[in-house]
Amino acid sequence: MERWKRRIFILAMGFLFAMASFTVALGQEIKIGVIGPMKFVQGIGHWNGATMAAEELNAKGGIQVGNQKMKVQIIQADSNEFLNVTDATNAMERLITKDKVHFVVGGFRTEAVLPMQDIAMENKKIFIGVGAAHDELCLRVAKNYNTYKYWFRGSPFNSSFLGRTSFIHLGTVGAILKQSLNIPKVKVAIVAEKAEWTEPMIKAAEGAIPSMGMETVGVWRPSPVATDVTAELSAIQRSEAQMIFTIFSSSVGIPFARQAGELKIPAVQVGINVEAQKDGFWQATQRMGNYVATMNTYARGVEYNELTKPFVDTYVKRFGETPTYTADTYAAIVYTLAPAIEKLGTLDPDKLVAFMENDVHKAPSGVVAYLKDAEGRHLHELRWGPGYLTALGVQWQDGELKAFWPNKWKAVPEAPEITYKGIVPYKIPPWMIEKYKK
Amino acid sequence: MDLILFYLRKLFTILKNEVLVLPSRVVVVLFFLLLLLLPVFTKDPYLLRIFTLTSIFAILAASWDLLSGFTGQMNFGHALFFGVGAYGAALLNKHVGIPPWGTVPLGALAAVVSGLIIGIPCLRLRGTYLALTTLAFPIILMGVVFAFPGLTGGELGISGIARLAGSRVIDYYIAVVVMLGLCTIMWKITDSNTGIIFHAIREDELAVKAAGINTTRYKLLAFSLSGFFAGISGGLYAHFMRIAGPSTLEVSMSFQVVIWAIFGGIVTIYGPVGAVFILFPLLEFLRFWQEFRMLMFSVVVLLILLYMPDGLFRWLRDKVEKECPRCKIRNVAMRHTCRVCTAPLD
Repeated sequence: MERWKRRIFILAMGFLFAMASFTVALGQEIKIGVIGPMKFVQGIGHWNGATMAAEELNAKGGIQVGNQKMKVQIIQADSNEFLNVTDATNAMERLITKDKVHFVVGGFRTEAVLPMQDIAMENKKIFIGVGAAHDELCLRVAKNYNTYKYWFRGSPFNSSFLGRTSFIHLGTVGAILKQSLNIPKVKVAIVAEKAEWTEPMIKAAEGAIPSMGMETVGVWRPSPVATDVTAELSAIQRSEAQMIFTIFSSSVGIPFARQAGELKIPAVQVGINVEAQKDGFWQATQRMGNYVATMNTYARGVEYNELTKPFVDTYVKRFGETPTYTADTYAAIVYTLAPAIEKLGTLDPDKLVAFMENDVHKAPSGVVAYLKDAEGRHLHELRWGPGYLTALGVQWQDGELKAFWPNKWKAVPEAPEITYKGIVPYKIPPWMIEKYKK
Repeated sequence: MDLILFYLRKLFTILKNEVLVLPSRVVVVLFFLLLLLLPVFTKDPYLLRIFTLTSIFAILAASWDLLSGFTGQMNFGHALFFGVGAYGAALLNKHVGIPPWGTVPLGALAAVVSGLIIGIPCLRLRGTYLALTTLAFPIILMGVVFAFPGLTGGELGISGIARLAGSRVIDYYIAVVVMLGLCTIMWKITDSNTGIIFHAIREDELAVKAAGINTTRYKLLAFSLSGFFAGISGGLYAHFMRIAGPSTLEVSMSFQVVIWAIFGGIVTIYGPVGAVFILFPLLEFLRFWQEFRMLMFSVVVLLILLYMPDGLFRWLRDKVEKECPRCKIRNVAMRHTCRVCTAPLD
C-alpha cells in the first residue's frame, strides 16, 4: 500500500511538473527588440517593418521552436540616435538587460550603432543592423569573430556597394543620353551635400566618370540644409553639364530638385537623393521633381522575386506609403531569423550564428547571402550583385516613382542579363530633348 | 587601539557637530553612502550603466559651474573640453596603446591645453561676446576632426578602444569614486582663497584688479581647471562607451551642460551634480512614455526654472536652512537662534 501511495505521489508530481512546464512554454514568447530613431522616418520604417513581421508570424501561430510554437513579441526602443548617442546605448542596454530580448534589429547612425553593437555583442545577442551602411560594422566581425559574430547586416548593403551601384546608374543614364541625344561626350556635374560621408564618393566619382567616357565639369557642395540652390544651378547650367550626379541624404534634395525643375535646367539628375525615395517628394517639390532619379530599395509594382509584391502591397495597404530600406526589419525577422530558429529548433545565439552565416535565402529585396573577406573570414556582410541584392534605379515619372534599372543589365559581359518585373524605360526630360535633339 | 578610538571619537564629534546639524550635509553624506553601496543591493547592468554615465556627466556639469558659475566666464562651448578629453584618451589608447588609467589623465591634460588656447584669446571678452566665442570652438574642432579622418575617424569617430574596466561594477566604482573625489576637490577649490578670487572676478573684475590681483592668471587658471575636470569626464566617457565621436563636440552637448547647471543652481558645485543625478535618470525613466518623453522632460525643466529661478537645490536648501544674519553660519530652518553666535534668526 505504501509503495502504491509513493508511486501515485511520484506520478502526480510528474503530472504537475509537466503541466507547469507546458503552461510556461505556452506563455513563452520570442522577444525581438526594434531599435531606431522612432520620431524620424527611419525609425518609423524600422517599427513598421517589424510590426508587419510580428503580425504575419503570429497569425500563423508563431515560430516553431523545437516542438512548441512561440509567439513573437516586438519591443520598441527609441534610440534618439540622431540627437544623442548616449541615449542610443542606454536604449540598447535596456532592451537587452531589462526587456530581456532574444534578438535586436534596427540601428541607423553609424556613430551610435558602433557602441550599440558593442553592448549587443557583450551580451551575446544577435543584432541585425538595418540602416547603417558603413563597412567598419562588418569588418569588426572579421577582425574579432568570437566577439562580433552576433552582428549581421540586414539592409542596406555596404557603402562601397552603394557607391558602385550609383555609378552604374550614372553610366546607364549617360549611355541613354549619348544614344538618344547624340551627345558625343556627356558632361557631368557632381553635386554633393557638404557632409563627411560624401567625400569618398566625390573622389570615387571623379575617378569613375572619365573611365565611363564622360567628363566632370565641376563639383558643387551646397549645405545639407540649404533652401536655395539657384547659385549652384546657374553655375551648372553655365558649365553645360548634361547630367547632375547628386549625393544627397538631407533635406537639400528637395529644393535642389524643385528649383532645377522650375529653371528647367537641361541636365538630368541621377545618383543618391534620399528625399526623392519618399512618397512625399512629389508634393514637396510641387511636382517639379519630375524625372529626378535616385537609388532605392523598393518601388511599387517592381518585383525582385515572388516575395516582393506581397510585402510592398501589404506595407502600402497597412501604412499608406512605399517601404523604405529601414522597413527591412520585416525581412530580417521573417526571412533571416524565423527560418533559422525553426530549422535549428533553438534560440541559442551561437548555433543560430553558425547556421545564419552560411544560409542563402530569398527576401523581398532579393537573395540574401553573406560575404567573407579575402582571407576567408566571415564578415556577415550582404552580398551585392546579380542574383543577390542590387537595389533599384528609380525615377519620378509624372507623379509615380518608377524603376528603370536594372534593365537588361549585365554585371560583366558574360553574365546573364537582369531585368526585374515592373521595370520601365528611363525617361529623358522633354526640355533636354528639345535642347539636344537635332 | 587608543589611536583608533581617538579617531573614532573625532569622527563621531565631527558627525555630531558638523554634519548632523545641517540637513544639506546629512543629504550629502547619504548621497555618498547610497552611491558607494548601490552595487551591494543591485548589480542590474542597466541601472549601473545609467549611474556610471550620470557620474561622468556630473563631473562635466560641475566643471562648467567652476568656470562659468564661480568665475563668471560664460562658456557655451564646454563640449570642447569634453571632446578633447575623449578624443585625447581614445587616440592615446588606440594608437599608442596606453591603458585607460594613463589615457584619461593625459586626455585631461590635452583639455587643459585647449582651455589655455581658448582662454587666452577670450581674456578680453565678457558676457554674450565670450559665450558666443566659446560656442565656436567645439564647432571648429569638429571641422578639424572631419578634416583628418585618417587620425580622428571622421564622422565615425574612434571606436573599439579599451574598456574602462573588466566589469560593469568596477566601471561604476571608478566613475563614482572619481566623481565624488573630483567634485569634492572642486568644492574645496571654490571654498579656498582661489575660489574667493574667482567669485570676486565674477562680481567686479575691475575691483579685483585694483586690489593688485592678476585677474588674467586667475581666469586662465579657471579655464585650465575646468578643462582638466571636463577632460577627465570626456576620457571616462570615451572608455566607458568605447568610442569618441563627433557627438562629444556637438552644440547640444554644450547646452545640455548649461541646462544641468542652471537646473540645479549655479555657483554651488553640488547643484549641477544633483541636477545631473535627477535629470539624466529622469530621461531614462520617461522611456515608458516614449512619444512624449522629450516633451515631459522639457516641461519638468521649464517648471523648475520658472518657479525656482536660482535652481532646484538652492531653493530646497533655502527651505530647510537659514543663514545667520550676523555670523553667516547656516542653521536648520526650525531654529530660532544661531547655533554658533546665538543671534536671533527670524
